[in-house]
Amino acid sequence: MKLRVKYSGQLRTATRCGEEDVGWSPDRTLAELIAHLAERHAAGRPHLLSDSGAIRPSLLIAINDAAVMANEANATRLRDGDVVWLLPPIAGG
Amino acid sequence: MEDTGQRSELDAAERNRYEWQLWVPDFGEAGQRRLKEATVLVSRIGGVGGTAALQLAAAGIGKLILAHGGELRLNDLNRQLLMTTDWIGKPRVESARRRLRELNPHVEIETIEANIDEGNAADLIGRADLVVSAAPLFAERLAMNRAAVQLGKPLVDCAMYDLEGRLTTVLPGRTPCLACLYPEPPPHWKREFPVFSAVSSTVGSLAAMEAIKVLAGFGEPLASRLLVFDLRNPCFETLPLRRRPDCPVCGPISRPAP
Repeated sequence: MKLRVKYSGQLRTATRCGEEDVGWSPDRTLAELIAHLAERHAAGRPHLLSDSGAIRPSLLIAINDAAVMANEANATRLRDGDVVWLLPPIAGG
Repeated sequence: MEDTGQRSELDAAERNRYEWQLWVPDFGEAGQRRLKEATVLVSRIGGVGGTAALQLAAAGIGKLILAHGGELRLNDLNRQLLMTTDWIGKPRVESARRRLRELNPHVEIETIEANIDEGNAADLIGRADLVVSAAPLFAERLAMNRAAVQLGKPLVDCAMYDLEGRLTTVLPGRTPCLACLYPEPPPHWKREFPVFSAVSSTVGSLAAMEAIKVLAGFGEPLASRLLVFDLRNPCFETLPLRRRPDCPVCGPISRPAP
C-alpha cells in the first residue's frame, strides 16, 4: 500500500521535499512510519524524534486532516491512501 | 466586552475614517464601538506582530500595548514595516508608535521596551482584552499563553517560517491552548528564520482579522483549528486541534458542557 506524507516547517527544509509517497504495509504503525522517515531523512530526524528515539510531543501530526497525538502513534495503524501530515512547531514572528 | 456608552461613541471624523469597514455585514457601528473600547497587547512588533498592529490601528482599536525590546537593526528592515531606515539604533517600539500615530491618531498607544516573560506577562495581559502572540521564541509564546489562559483572555497565536504561516485563536476553557500543541519547546527552533515580508505580513494581517472578529463579536474565529498556509505552492488548509486532557496550563480550566 502507499501513503502520502506531507512535511511542513523546518521538516520541509530538512527533507528537501514538501511531500512524497511512501510504500507501507497495513500491519505497521504510525510510530514505525515516523521512525522510518527519521532514518530516511537524517536531517529531519531531530524534528521528529528525541535523542532517546521517542516522537517529539510537540510534533503536530494529522492523518487525513484529523489530529493525532504523538502518544497515540504506537496504536495508530495506517491505511492505503492515507495522507500523513507532519508539522514541527514554528515561531517566526 | 461591555458597551459602556459615551466613551465608545464615534464622532464624525471616526465615522468618516471607518466608513468603508462600517459597511461590512455583521460589523457596523456596534462592532466599531467595540473595537474602540478594546485594548490589544501585541507581543513583538516585527514582521508578523508589526503588521498585526498596523492593521489593528487602521481598524480603530482603542488602545494598543506594544511590547518589544531592543533597537532597530538594518537587517530588520526587510520585514518590520513599522520601522524606518533613519531609526536604526533606536528603540523599535518608538518607531512603531510614531508610524501608528501617523496612520491613526485616534488609537492610544502604550509602548513597553521589553519582551514578554514570566515576570511581566500577567501584568500586561491583565490590562488587555486580547493578546496577539508573535514572538520568535517559544518561551515567550508559552509564557503569554499561560498568563492568557489563567486570566481568561483570548490569544491569537501567529507564526511563520520560510513561506509558511500558521494561526490559531486560543479561547481559554473552550479551545486547546498553546501548551496543548507544544508541551515542550522544540530544541531545534532558532530565533533567526528565513522570511519575506510578504509572508510575515500575511500572517500578521490574518491575526489582526482574528482579533477584530473576536473583539467585535462576528464571524467564526479559528477556534480549535490551526490555519496553515504555504505560499511556495500556494495552499491554505485548516487542521483540527485537540485539547490535551493532561495539559498543565489549560487542563484544570473547566470545559463547556458537550
